Amino acid sequence: MILMTDLDKLGEEEMDVLKELGNIGTGHAATSLSKLLNKDVYLSVPKVKVGEIKNLSREFIGEVVAGVIIALQDLEEKKSGYLYIMFPEKSARKIAGDLFGMDELDEEMYASTIMEVGNILSSSFCDASADFMNIILLPSPPSFAVDVPTAVIDSVVSQMAKNTNHIILFETSLSSDSDIKIYLALLPEPCLLDDMMKIMGRL
Amino acid sequence: MSSVFLFISNESGKAIFLISGDVLVKSFCSLSDTCPFQDSCRSCSLLNAAKNYLAGTAPDSRIKTLDGELSAGIGEYKIGKNVLLKVMGLGSCIGVILSDVSTGICGIAHVLLPGASDRGETKYAETAIEKMVEDMVKMGARRSRITAKFAGGAQVFKHMSLDILKIGDRNAISVEETLIKKNIPILAKDVGGEVGRNVIFNPADGSMIVKYTAKGEVLWL
Repeated sequence: MILMTDLDKLGEEEMDVLKELGNIGTGHAATSLSKLLNKDVYLSVPKVKVGEIKNLSREFIGEVVAGVIIALQDLEEKKSGYLYIMFPEKSARKIAGDLFGMDELDEEMYASTIMEVGNILSSSFCDASADFMNIILLPSPPSFAVDVPTAVIDSVVSQMAKNTNHIILFETSLSSDSDIKIYLALLPEPCLLDDMMKIMGRL
Repeated sequence: MSSVFLFISNESGKAIFLISGDVLVKSFCSLSDTCPFQDSCRSCSLLNAAKNYLAGTAPDSRIKTLDGELSAGIGEYKIGKNVLLKVMGLGSCIGVILSDVSTGICGIAHVLLPGASDRGETKYAETAIEKMVEDMVKMGARRSRITAKFAGGAQVFKHMSLDILKIGDRNAISVEETLIKKNIPILAKDVGGEVGRNVIFNPADGSMIVKYTAKGEVLWL
């Protein structure tokens, strides 16, 4: 049975479940980041929003980011959604520099470092969601681009826009020291919400 | 506070300034690549001309005011007359500008997907262009005088594992094919590459201003 959860009619309960999933996922991601950087990492209060695609650009920060996009799949290889990790350029340089103990990195090295950090964050996000509600999410290898947030994400949005005019956005940020900040967004496909609701129904 | 959009062109270059009170809020300038002040304009012949014009000391026929700006969100289009038209943060998306110089009616679309929609959704290239032409004609534009410019359709990913992200080229082809099919002359385009773009249409001289979002480079086409 395929339940198509109607995005624009998402109820309070669905939003809460999604928020909890995101919360636990980013909590684990924050722990991994903290271990990786050997620093305290703070998590902002997450937000879940349902909005129209046409207004999406208002949701993101205006500055250039190093963006990592990871597609999430379930065991049947259905697309469950996308995880979008945005590193403002200064933070990205700082993280890469700290990890290597160098100030200057060549571009190739810099890109693969940030992708790897994205990889680690998304893997812990996925592990946590599996623990929490038995939803298996398999992360794809990361895709990487440096540009303003909407320019990086719009090809993903076009995929989602084929079926809907609305998008759900789970947003939060991780920060460490004064100069490291990472923005995380989860863009779930309807099938992830359906899976979540089925599992909630069984509880 | 009253804000005013000015378009200025003189022998050194062209610029659009948004001035609110005494404050220069933003500028798009054809000289920004060589300008020592970059985006933080201080003084130059263009800005000085604007200041004098606003102070009322020097009437200048090379200065035109614009009646504000309109920004089209993802998958939308906007139509106006003598207003600055914008689409921001295009990656694989395309900004399509249609304009009829004879009546001054113009429009901009933020195209998200290639092809046409059977439900009239303007996120698709063909549907967006068709509806925009219809609306412009309703507003008084002459169908036969409409021309087009477009930019976008980049492939911003340097490292990519997902094929679905390669949609920029398909968007660009779809826009171009639609315009050719509809006999709308294409006056300028800037598509592809690895750069995100902001696309702005200046109705005062019909130019499309393309700003590369990551590098800050500006083209006037």
